[in-house]
Amino acid sequence: MKLGSALLEIMSKKVSAVADEMALTLKRTSRSTFVKEAGDFGVGVADLNGRIFAWPSDSTVSGVSSIFYPIEGLVDAISDLEPGDVIGTNDAYTSQGLATHLSDYHLVRPIFHDDRIVAYGWCFCHFCDVGGRVPGSVSPTNLEIFQEGLRVPPIKLVRRGALNEDFITIFTANSRTPDLNMGDFKALLAALRTGEQKVERLIARHGVETFMACQEELQAYSEAKARDVLRALPDGVYEFWDYVDDDMVTRIPFRIRLKVTIRDGTVHIDLTGTDPQVPGSLNYPSMGQLRSGFTRRLVTFICTGDKTIPFNAGIFRPFSVTNPPGHVLHAEYPDAISSRVDTTRRLNDVMNGILLKAVPDRMAAPAGGASVTLVLSEHDPRGGQQIVNVLQSMRGGMGAFRGNDGVDARDVSYVNMKNQRLETIEGQSGVIIRDYDVHADSGGPGQWRGGVGQMMTVEARRDGSTLIIQGMDRIRFPGWGVFGGRPAAPFRIVLNKGRPEEKELSRLDRLDLNAGDTVTIMMPGGSGYGDPFERDPEAVMDDLRLGFVTRAGAKRDFGVVATNKGLNRQATEKFRTTRVRQNVRAEFDFGSEREAWERVFDDATLLELNRQLMTLPRSQRFDKRHWIFEQVVPDMPAAGMGRVAAAIGDPDEARARLADAMAKVFGNSTESPAHSR
Amino acid sequence: MGKRQSQRCRIGIDVGGTFTDFVLAEMESGALTRFKEASVPSDPSRSVENGLPVLVERAGVRPDDVELIVHGTTLLVNAIIQRRGAKVALVVSKGNRGILEIARANLAHTQDFTLRKEEPLVPRDLIFETSARTLTDGTVIDRPAEGETAAIAGRIRDTGIEAVSVQLLNSYLHPEMESEVAEELRDHLDGIPVTESAYIWPELGEFERALISIMNAYVQPIMESYLDGLTQRIRKVGIDAPIYITASNGGTVGIETARQRPIDTVLSGPASGVVAAMRVAAVSKHTDIITVDMGGTSCDVSVVQGGEPSFTTQSHVGDLPLNLPVLDVSAIGAGGGSIVWVDPQGVLKIGPQSAGADPGPVCYGRGGNQPTITDCYLLIGYIHPDHFLGGRMQLDSVAAQTALEEVAERAAIDGENRAVKAAAAALSVATAIMAAELQKGVARRGEDPSDFTLMAFGGAGPTHANLLVEEAGLTSFIVPPASSTFCALGAILADVKRDYVRSQHILLDECDAAENALLEIFGGIQEEAAAWIKQEGDLLGQPQFTATLEMRYAGQAFDLQVPLPDELRTHPQPAAITELFHRIHERQYGFRDLDSATEVMTERLRVTGRITPVTLSGVEKRAAPEPATTRRVFNDGSFLLAPVFLRRDLGEGATIAGPAIVEQEDSTTWILPGWSARVDQIGNMLVAANGKVG
Repeated sequence: MKLGSALLEIMSKKVSAVADEMALTLKRTSRSTFVKEAGDFGVGVADLNGRIFAWPSDSTVSGVSSIFYPIEGLVDAISDLEPGDVIGTNDAYTSQGLATHLSDYHLVRPIFHDDRIVAYGWCFCHFCDVGGRVPGSVSPTNLEIFQEGLRVPPIKLVRRGALNEDFITIFTANSRTPDLNMGDFKALLAALRTGEQKVERLIARHGVETFMACQEELQAYSEAKARDVLRALPDGVYEFWDYVDDDMVTRIPFRIRLKVTIRDGTVHIDLTGTDPQVPGSLNYPSMGQLRSGFTRRLVTFICTGDKTIPFNAGIFRPFSVTNPPGHVLHAEYPDAISSRVDTTRRLNDVMNGILLKAVPDRMAAPAGGASVTLVLSEHDPRGGQQIVNVLQSMRGGMGAFRGNDGVDARDVSYVNMKNQRLETIEGQSGVIIRDYDVHADSGGPGQWRGGVGQMMTVEARRDGSTLIIQGMDRIRFPGWGVFGGRPAAPFRIVLNKGRPEEKELSRLDRLDLNAGDTVTIMMPGGSGYGDPFERDPEAVMDDLRLGFVTRAGAKRDFGVVATNKGLNRQATEKFRTTRVRQNVRAEFDFGSEREAWERVFDDATLLELNRQLMTLPRSQRFDKRHWIFEQVVPDMPAAGMGRVAAAIGDPDEARARLADAMAKVFGNSTESPAHSR
Repeated sequence: MGKRQSQRCRIGIDVGGTFTDFVLAEMESGALTRFKEASVPSDPSRSVENGLPVLVERAGVRPDDVELIVHGTTLLVNAIIQRRGAKVALVVSKGNRGILEIARANLAHTQDFTLRKEEPLVPRDLIFETSARTLTDGTVIDRPAEGETAAIAGRIRDTGIEAVSVQLLNSYLHPEMESEVAEELRDHLDGIPVTESAYIWPELGEFERALISIMNAYVQPIMESYLDGLTQRIRKVGIDAPIYITASNGGTVGIETARQRPIDTVLSGPASGVVAAMRVAAVSKHTDIITVDMGGTSCDVSVVQGGEPSFTTQSHVGDLPLNLPVLDVSAIGAGGGSIVWVDPQGVLKIGPQSAGADPGPVCYGRGGNQPTITDCYLLIGYIHPDHFLGGRMQLDSVAAQTALEEVAERAAIDGENRAVKAAAAALSVATAIMAAELQKGVARRGEDPSDFTLMAFGGAGPTHANLLVEEAGLTSFIVPPASSTFCALGAILADVKRDYVRSQHILLDECDAAENALLEIFGGIQEEAAAWIKQEGDLLGQPQFTATLEMRYAGQAFDLQVPLPDELRTHPQPAAITELFHRIHERQYGFRDLDSATEVMTERLRVTGRITPVTLSGVEKRAAPEPATTRRVFNDGSFLLAPVFLRRDLGEGATIAGPAIVEQEDSTTWILPGWSARVDQIGNMLVAANGKVG
């Protein structure tokens, strides 16, 4: 340690305070909800290699908690940096994946001292609308990047302090919300100025040598701390996979599969077995590299294990990746990418499973696995013009861990933004919120129960309203139980619940409503941990009293018999002992739908299918894959609209259809799936 | 007590966990008498009964000379934090039973798999739904069915509830339905208090409004029985003066208001300290100050600008949000009890764990074995083992030395004096953390810290002030004469204050309607506020009103505060108000948006009843103090010999050049080389970097 044990800590706090002040400037000077309320922005200071060494200390300031941003993707693209320059981009494909969809503009300002660059100030925020096919620019059914808005490859936005006015002209002409965008653009520039000033203050106080030295030392320090935590993971190779219900264009589920090798506190992530890119915008632009979308659960694991670790890119040094082209986590130009978050959310659950395998006692079960934003578009009854408001952002529950239930009706495992108050919603939109409560029985049953999700019922009061729904998932395949825990309830969306015309819906992009229609959203709960029949009956009675489980649920899920007088101990004991033990899965309980699916599409077969698909030209891959699945399950129901087992029919016949279809596509040279690899 | 003229005086009392502080101010001379009495946590007003006679005796006044008693207590905040309040039921609109579970859907941390959420003040099974439902525009879409409310009352009675809070959606605009339900509940719940959310605080936001009214109900029984006991004991001592209670907004309220609205007093503790600091600094002509109250477990910071304290509507009581306007006091980093430790990578760390007062620092000799900031002060020489708390507590330097040796070992600090070096290193870390937090606190307001003077109080504030000021880029600080009884002093320097709110949405481009709406709102609140002030007592002058609007451009998702000049409050002209808003927006964001309509979202009014100010008495002139002794102090890598002055020897005009130490009964001030102190006419010691005018 060159700086010494006190100076390193001092610099750690001070560089993070620089980032804090950048965040404060951004938040104070922005005018958009994305920044001010949702905190969908990031700020930091990066070293000469583009690695962030300064990050805000308060994780609740910014809703963004991943810091492995490849800033070099922007810096490398422009060689003649001068004092007062600001460079920027929103395009993943020309910035090595720094920006991960067009809504996010990343800006970098070189910080000079004595005529040389000593660091890079960096920030980004999510802009309300950057053009494209749909208002807000984000839609899972966008089919290529050109439908998602204006692409801006790395360029100089400010040259020696002078704003590039031509850029501004194009930028504002290509948005539905030019004023808000300009406000946020200026706020980003102001944050970068703050960063530069605070770095100057730091150099004046501690000297440029100390400032330069701390950049590497702080990352080395965080790396050492991260590895100390990761050494709790036993060496070995761990494999796990999970599914996104479908790609929103077809009804075929797609799979995220990780093979993780842990050795002495290092983690290697192999994405090779993951399913191919999808036609919609659920592709993640990792550009073949290690990206923060892969490591969120690992980072949280590290920070849970060492609450004093300085948050910087050193945390990522123990990680490495094998990331070949072709799969959904490696989008390629011109794939649409705006909804990539929904895919990395599932990847988080996969990593969650791997950590559970490695350290069952130290890892929580996964959270609800869906995070939904509801936007209402309606016509102003006075002027008739279209008004668009975010109605609500909805959360599932969090996963249980050994010794504790999961958090109910809140989930900060991906974002930590506040909800909309009902009185605000009703004041600005023509709706009545009939229900906004916990979703009983949605938490994964377990000795320690998964947190229940939220539920909400919205009633439209005006004809011709449209509800835009982002982030739905876990309708078909619910969150899986852990070590005897049962699956959580799936996501549900129901039109006119409790009325004769009640209708269960599937994953959808938008929903038209007339006055009087109600939509009920039921969020999935977090997963349970341990055998629910081992749960303390008194804890189940508490859940019943508080309404987290129903009386029927108490019996069905926990084997607890409650009467009007309270707990019936005798009946409970009897009921619990008569249960068929085979129902209890030793490690993970994935639920009947996934079990039915995997009776046909088992791991080995899917790996082989993907291997074969990857040999095809990219242009054919999707159509061939789609065709094969159509042959095997011609009547695949939309997620939540029917049972997979029924659609598949006899699994053996389905497997025969699959072998047949693969043979037709790839020729007879196909090895038997069982003996592949 | 000899026969003499009546001496009008006021008494401020602050009951803390360890000590109850008393300050008596004589109105004519401005003389202050201070006294500390041990608190009795099991019977919190007992220390008042024990201490008052001694205080009065010391000051040489008679009980009937006392014209006013102002009292502050941490009883309520602790009751909420420790969940020791009343058993409260909540009645909500149908479908809203999840209100406390969902809250605002966020948590205090994100990077932690083991996190839990706060325990709700009302468990969900004590939350009852009523069909009563009103929309934003006042339309009633559903009413309780015949017998429905009676049935709810029956269930409430069966569960042994002590208080009920009613919170219906949109009641902030249309309180009628909420009142109707509450009234019927009262009819059925003989004697159980029923609180209406819109009556306590009619602001938009069902969760925050519910929480305010629940907290009010939750602490009300505790407050009532406490105030009963307090009044009785004060009367027993022979003092007949009116009793006021300090409030979270830096004001005070009469005892009757405190009974009805205990929620207004919950965060009064730190607020009183800020009021005292602000008033004392103002006498010394300092209006832009940062107050730093550093005690054993925490360090509270607040910004005063232009002689006005800063307020926030986003504070917390423990883990629960509080959206009432309160003085903006934030906790930064370390207190004297913060633990110094070394992580497995050999890096020196401070806190967040604290040894508190018990077991306390290692040098207290009460069983604490982890070194703290206070142990560092001792080893470095800022404080003396024989002079702590005026010599009432002997400190153990050897034990502190041993503990810090171990820190040095782990942090790879070696050579001669390595324990002292470790102590200095630890203080440099603590100082850096505090300075960074302080700079952030000022930056949050868009200001620059170097424009401020720091006001240091609390046991450790004066000791750490110079280090902090130097690191944070300030050029001066003030140490008041007796800083540890500051909250008690602040109590008698505060005016009576109360805040009012309405959340009526007003479109300013609809001129006539807007003008009428504002007239009606402010007229209504003002009348209510004036009536309230009238019943708060005879000591108060004419009520003063300050109005603020929270405004936005139509379609914007956040508000800007627009302070309203008196003439616009009494004669609201929408065009002039819009212009004010444009100007404030322009100052903040660099432009005005002339295409957008402007809207008022929230209307606020504060009423102040001024009490005759206490004139703080001057100190004698005594310009050339002699040091009482000298002491070895470790500074910048080596020991130097610093003169030690006694604060009581310093009169007006006294100047001291650093390095120097000034000891007073409740704290010790360290003055760095290159800095000098000067004492002003009321005894404030102003310390500034040489060559800088403070």
